[in-house]
Amino acid sequence: MSNNNAGPVVGKRTIGGYLLSVLAWFVGFLFFFPVFWMALSGFKTEADANGPPKLFFEPTTEQFSEVTGDTTGLLSAGEAFSNSFWAVVISTFFVMVLAVPAAYALSIKPVSKWKDVLFFFISTKFLPIVAAILPLWIIARELDLLNTRLVLIILYTAMNLPLAIWMLRSFFSEVPKELIEAAQIDGAKLWGQISSVILPIVAPGLAATALLCVIFAWNEFFLAVQLNPIEGSTVPIWVTGNVSTRGNFLAKLSAASTLATLPVIIAGWMAQKRMIRGLAMGAIK
Amino acid sequence: MAEVRFDAASRIYPGTEVPAVNELNLDIADGELLVLVGPSGSGKSTALRMLAGLEFIDKGSVFINDKDVTLAPPQDRDIAMVFQNYALYPQMSVAANMGFALKQQGIPKDERRKRVEEAARILDLEPYLDRKPKNLSGGQRQRVAMGRAIVRSPQVFLMDEPLSNLDAKLRVQTRTELADLQARLGVTTVYVTHDQVEAMTMGHRVAVLDHGVLQQVARPRDLYSKPENRFVAGFIGSPAMNLVDVDATNGIAIAGGTVPFDDSVNVANQSGTVSVGVRPEHLSLVTDGTPDSIAGEVTVVEELGSEAFVHVRTKHQGDDLTLVVRDEGETSTQRGDQVSVAFTGPTHLFGADGERVGD
Amino acid sequence: MAAVTSNSTREEQVKALQKKEARRRRLPLLPALLFTIVVTQVPFLMSLYYSFTKWTVTPPSPREWIGIENYTDAFTNMFFRQAAMTSVIMTLTSVVLSVILGTGVALLLDRKFFGQGFVRTLIITPFLVMPVVAGLVWKNQMFSAAFGVLNWVLNQVGVESIEFASKFPRWSIVGVLVWQWTPFMMLIILAGLQGQSSSVIEAAKVDGASPRATFFQITLPHLRPYIELGVLLGSIYLIQVFDHIVVMTGGGPGSTNVPLFVNQRSIGGGWRFGSASAFSIVVVVATIILATFGLRVLSGLLEGEEAA
Ligand SMILES: Nc1ncnc2c1ncn2[C@@H]1O[C@H](COP(=O)(O)OP(=O)(O)O)[C@@H](O)[C@H]1O
Ligand SMILES: [Mg+2]
Repeated sequence: MSNNNAGPVVGKRTIGGYLLSVLAWFVGFLFFFPVFWMALSGFKTEADANGPPKLFFEPTTEQFSEVTGDTTGLLSAGEAFSNSFWAVVISTFFVMVLAVPAAYALSIKPVSKWKDVLFFFISTKFLPIVAAILPLWIIARELDLLNTRLVLIILYTAMNLPLAIWMLRSFFSEVPKELIEAAQIDGAKLWGQISSVILPIVAPGLAATALLCVIFAWNEFFLAVQLNPIEGSTVPIWVTGNVSTRGNFLAKLSAASTLATLPVIIAGWMAQKRMIRGLAMGAIK
Repeated sequence: MAEVRFDAASRIYPGTEVPAVNELNLDIADGELLVLVGPSGSGKSTALRMLAGLEFIDKGSVFINDKDVTLAPPQDRDIAMVFQNYALYPQMSVAANMGFALKQQGIPKDERRKRVEEAARILDLEPYLDRKPKNLSGGQRQRVAMGRAIVRSPQVFLMDEPLSNLDAKLRVQTRTELADLQARLGVTTVYVTHDQVEAMTMGHRVAVLDHGVLQQVARPRDLYSKPENRFVAGFIGSPAMNLVDVDATNGIAIAGGTVPFDDSVNVANQSGTVSVGVRPEHLSLVTDGTPDSIAGEVTVVEELGSEAFVHVRTKHQGDDLTLVVRDEGETSTQRGDQVSVAFTGPTHLFGADGERVGD
Repeated sequence: MAAVTSNSTREEQVKALQKKEARRRRLPLLPALLFTIVVTQVPFLMSLYYSFTKWTVTPPSPREWIGIENYTDAFTNMFFRQAAMTSVIMTLTSVVLSVILGTGVALLLDRKFFGQGFVRTLIITPFLVMPVVAGLVWKNQMFSAAFGVLNWVLNQVGVESIEFASKFPRWSIVGVLVWQWTPFMMLIILAGLQGQSSSVIEAAKVDGASPRATFFQITLPHLRPYIELGVLLGSIYLIQVFDHIVVMTGGGPGSTNVPLFVNQRSIGGGWRFGSASAFSIVVVVATIILATFGLRVLSGLLEGEEAA
């Protein structure tokens, strides 16, 4: 175990330890391989992609320019990325605006029944979204919100809010109570306590939470395809649009998939440690 | 400069029945260093936090300088507090930590700088003003916490076990420095500790709490020589006072040795089970056959060099009883010796209700 | 102290102050609470109402109250029962498999070795991949009989190509889900492993416990809350799986789960809103039962936090 490293670890330099390290690398490549293959195929010609697996070939960026080019009548890459971008950014902003005060009220100055309230938020994640999609569709149609970005913004906010509250509460409860009391005694008003004591401590947690919301919203497909099939559609739908029943499409699909996943993969790589601490700390100190 | 007064102040935490602090009455004089002492969970921190405004006062009132602050938020009480874990703002430098309260008061930057440097000089913190708390040693952090308190020149200092995170040697040293600093500044101070040695060495007066109830407030000397009740008698003093339960129906004797009392105690008036208290230094080992001595066997000898504490096992009312006796100088007593113990100093008597009998 | 009036008693003043404080504490919670109630509970109530009506859009018909007929239909509907079964099996197997694999990988990564951080980064990548992309890549580039890498590997060892996604639709989907969720479980469990104090392990070693006994008697009990958390969060997401199925099998044999089924009956094509609503209410009730159980687990986790 990692914490034993300081002490003498039996087996660290043995054959067994060596094999375990090799195994870890192997497992790593196994998990990563489909992603690697997808990116690789994006640089192939359709002829290279639609054939027996090929590791070596003459790379081309032709597919990337093709999928990002406009095709009349179809959802263009530009539209999809801009719809996704705004839906994701604005919904994440709303999530944070709603979740930060709520998490404050569940941890730093807890309301009397904070546990029940937290349960309520989490329990809404248990509600199957299919059970709500029909009325949502009807409401959206009544309000003329179908095929707009706004409907996705509202629903992505609702979708990510419970998780954000859960994670932020964990980060907030890491702020020592005495620190806030010290600030109070030092004469800081509520805003002073928040801006000079709490925020600097929880800022990394806020960033990680926002990133997780971005990831889930960016990858969301179900609501987008149900509510915005015509306009205001997002990247996942653009990706599926590259599946064709006529002719070869694998290289194009790979190029589109690579473009679609890249932003989130990079964000996730950067935030990996904090994200998981936020998820796990809520339950475990 | 301020006086502090608790007037029948109680705190009952939500969801609990028993008050954590029960009808506390306490007058603290201007410039006094009052120590609140008691076992863990006795309500010391709660009492301090009530004064700070960090806990509601469910009943009664608290006054600072005759001003009723019962309902005032901490910001309006002009107090400074040193926390057990220091509660230094991790992202701020030492200087910013110390100047934070001044900044909240809107004091201009130059003035702030001057006062922070002044406090830093008093506390030998000048070289560290630009460091972050995490780059300081435990003792330095403790001093920063102190600095944050003194820089404001508040009405009252509140300290909740400020030394308990230091190692033993540093604790003893800091204890003296702290008492000295308080005396120089002359700021009324309420100091919480569970360590009775700290309480006795530092306090102008010491208030003993148990289960949220104030047991006694007195100067250390008086607390030691005239404990008001059985709890205080047992809590103050190290090693603890010998406390023996005695059936008082036929006079008061321990293991056959009649206990001498001073004139204010009327032994004949006692009945039921009472407690006799006698400090180890008021017992001594004597030669066999001394009248009213207690015969027993030595079980442990705690040798401290200048003195030794000898544990003597005897039989009292059918049970084993161990008395601790202080033997001055170099002792020749060894485990297994048969010895006699005699009363050579004042004794204390606590009635069936635990209260002190006589003066 | 402005609010102090001379004719109210001190106790009343304290009470008033405490009430005010309680109100002040509730205030920041209200926007999030109201928003959540409106967006999640209102549609649910509408579904509840629709479920007692007969209402088809194509061909258009007026909404008509029919009582519990939709429910009796739902319970006798064989396809619904199959979908429910599929949901249960898919969720259960993918959660269990990803927890087991995730634990294994976490143990593997909890040793210091060259490139530890890099390998962890490689392994978490599948969790970040967009579900539709995951489904499409696996179906077309791994599982495909003609061009799939998996089949190419099988061919090398002399096994005939298999079109996985159509031959084993359900298990192909489970495979992709496990690929995506093992990294998630791994990260949570890794957090647990790294929170374990080394002195406990060392004490066990000194006491002569075998590595096996140490794992089962010390490490695993310590990991329990982390595993529970992983199961809880995993189930929440995996029970709602939709994207993978749509792009991989379109609901091919044995792979239509409840979300897909309900969708097919309503705005996904069936347009029978009344009966689709009844299905979704049944799902909600079932999920509530599951959620009660899940929340009990959560409650245990929070107790632990308070004790700490
Ligand atoms: N926030 C709280 N809620 C409920 N009970 C508390 C709270 N804080 C302290 N207590 C209880 O009040 C009593 C006194 O606590 P405290 O003042 O912290 O004691 P001390 O500082 O003397 O160790 C203890 O029994 C403790 O369990
Ligand atoms: Mg305390």
